[in-house]
Amino acid sequence: MLKKHPIITFIFFGFILFLISNRLDELRVYQGATVAVYAIGIASLILLIGYSGQVSLGHGAFLAIGGFAAALARIHYEAPVWLTFVVAVLAAAIAGALLGLAAARLSGPYLAGTTLALAIGLPSIANQFSIFGGEQGISFDIGLPPASLGEDFTQYKWFFWISWTVALITLYWLRNILNSRYGRGWRAVRSNDVAAELAGIHVGRNKVLAFTISAGLAGLAGALLAMTISLASPGVFPLALSFSLATGAVLSGVTTLGGIMIGSVTLVAIPEIALAIANRYGSETITTNLPGLLVSALLILTVLFVPNGPVEQMHAKRAKRGHSSHSPVEISVRVGSKTWSTKK
Amino acid sequence: MIRINRRKLITTSAVLAIAALTVATVPAQALNPQMADPGITASTIKLGITSPLTGIASPGYNKIPGAMKAYFDYVNTNGGVNGRKITLVSKDDQYIPTTAVAKANELILRDKVFALVGTLGTASTKALTASTQLSKRGVPSLFVNTGWSGFADKKAYPTTFSILPSYQMEAKIMAKYVKETYAGKKIAIIYQDDDFGRDALAGFKTAGLTFDTYIPYASGSQALPATGAGWISKLKTAGAEVTVLFGVTSASTAALANAYGAGFKTQWVLGSVGGDATTIAATNKAYVPLLFGAKGFSFAPAPTDTTDEYIKLFQSIYAAAQPTQTFDNNVVAGMSNAFLVVQALKAAGANLTRAGLIKVIETKGSTFASPFLTPLGYSATAHIGATGYWVGTYGPTGALTPDGGKYTVYTTDSGTGPVVLSTYTRPAMPAKGL
Repeated sequence: MLKKHPIITFIFFGFILFLISNRLDELRVYQGATVAVYAIGIASLILLIGYSGQVSLGHGAFLAIGGFAAALARIHYEAPVWLTFVVAVLAAAIAGALLGLAAARLSGPYLAGTTLALAIGLPSIANQFSIFGGEQGISFDIGLPPASLGEDFTQYKWFFWISWTVALITLYWLRNILNSRYGRGWRAVRSNDVAAELAGIHVGRNKVLAFTISAGLAGLAGALLAMTISLASPGVFPLALSFSLATGAVLSGVTTLGGIMIGSVTLVAIPEIALAIANRYGSETITTNLPGLLVSALLILTVLFVPNGPVEQMHAKRAKRGHSSHSPVEISVRVGSKTWSTKK
Repeated sequence: MIRINRRKLITTSAVLAIAALTVATVPAQALNPQMADPGITASTIKLGITSPLTGIASPGYNKIPGAMKAYFDYVNTNGGVNGRKITLVSKDDQYIPTTAVAKANELILRDKVFALVGTLGTASTKALTASTQLSKRGVPSLFVNTGWSGFADKKAYPTTFSILPSYQMEAKIMAKYVKETYAGKKIAIIYQDDDFGRDALAGFKTAGLTFDTYIPYASGSQALPATGAGWISKLKTAGAEVTVLFGVTSASTAALANAYGAGFKTQWVLGSVGGDATTIAATNKAYVPLLFGAKGFSFAPAPTDTTDEYIKLFQSIYAAAQPTQTFDNNVVAGMSNAFLVVQALKAAGANLTRAGLIKVIETKGSTFASPFLTPLGYSATAHIGATGYWVGTYGPTGALTPDGGKYTVYTTDSGTGPVVLSTYTRPAMPAKGL
């Protein structure tokens, strides 16, 4: 039933989250909102890396564009909150389309380098024009939650509701896109672009489209991030954010959206786990260095043992036992004696 | 598998939605207004600080929490404040606003601190103040380490108090000094082209100082090798005899090193943010002597001034608490901050509340004992701490000592008020510095 009607899964998940938000203390609610932000950010990377086969090490730059666009729309045009998110998506998507045009000609380390340069360079641009507020940044204040929700309804719960509503809608939409003609096209391009092209898929167009959508989603995540901390500034979107998202995507498994919660929860939970360990055994030095160590260790273990992510691994195991109908798209093209295939 | 049709789907969604709304209307526990503020018991006060302990901005600044803790421990061994011992929970935010918000949330919501103290960095402080809703929660944020004039806006930041003079005040005082000392000379300025630098430009303009050459730089670009060299060639062409630098330490490092490399001589006048020898030493120890002869500004007594009773006390406390660390202006900043926190807590009395603490700083803050050589500006309308600067010259070890062997302190406001020679004499230190 759930497989056939994924919307029910999403509504059910939303309902569970809603119940959870009423039971958790405020700190967890805040962290929960952050998980939603990461989930969108990671989803945008999964679309890009796992589906279209393009690597971005600088996705933080698109989050920055989204964050600043939303904040500017709010400050200068007093745009309603939903509109600021739309503006964020559009601004980042346009930037993504421009970069995507260049990216479609690049691959592997060259593309990674280009996106990395963008993430490093963009904050300097923000510092160059006073409209972006320099190092101090600009405030992004969405205002208090509606009075009808009651006096005890906290700001963080409001952020949580907004973030998760946006995240669930986004993920639902993205799931459909990935299962559509476009998704199949991207996967074909990722697996073997020659085979895909021979099968009539326009490689360049597909890559640019994937980059544009991915950037738009990243922009949305950026707007939500700026909302949760009430600020858009260059420091909010450091290079470390880009790396965190890439790490989250690898932990989630880049080839499927199914594991997305693993990556996003891990990113938020790791500092907490590190703190718990440090409180038990150790010193301040441990607290500062342990999160990095844990993330790195997890990353290495993931790459070693479940390179496509835990969820994909599970599916593969079930498929082996003959339980699942989950089968990847395969395209084989035979020209003369040579065969190109997307099958691994 | 059960096959469901559209009607069933809609019904299920509707049921879920109604259930959701029902749960939403369940009232949360009513708050008890009689409850004491968090972070406080009959025998303890819990305070929290988030600051960069690691990351690019940490050198120098990462000594502040340790210095504060050293002073609080000293107070605790001497009976605490009104019988309460102070604990300081310190978190590392790496100078990233997102992390600063997360850490401030941990401090307020999990550690349940009574107040935040000494948070550092304008962007981080802005973000955490807004996101965690300090004002709505009534959490005092005492003595934030930034000179951004925006924090003086009491309406936007009702529970926040800063400790540094504003950048505008600093620029006005620098302007007066430069105009009087270097009249008739060719003067240039290198400044950071953002709120920080523009705050200063506004101050220079108010004080009537115009420069022969203006060299703005984008924050972050000072780290590029070509940037510093570019400044020096511009200064050379302009024949700048005096160069004011209003930027961060990495900018002064780039400027001093490139001037030295090009054999270019000018009288450097450094803003207080960019003149920290410890931070310069963290980049490269060999650069520290380049500060020699430059002019600098400060409002606290010089860390090397052992004739100052506060410095003497702070040095002995710090040497016992952190024997491996050098005593520098960051330590003085941290301990002075902790000293002011203790004065405020003491003044708030035995019946300590968050609202009471804020009130007492507004009403009596300007009379608190403090190590600073300038008056404190706290009032019901202003939340700014020190209100002036003294001028000094850097020695070969990067220590700033007052010109003429005594502190000549100028004071002013962030507006259009004049810069005047301060007549303030610092009251004697309270017994044992408590």
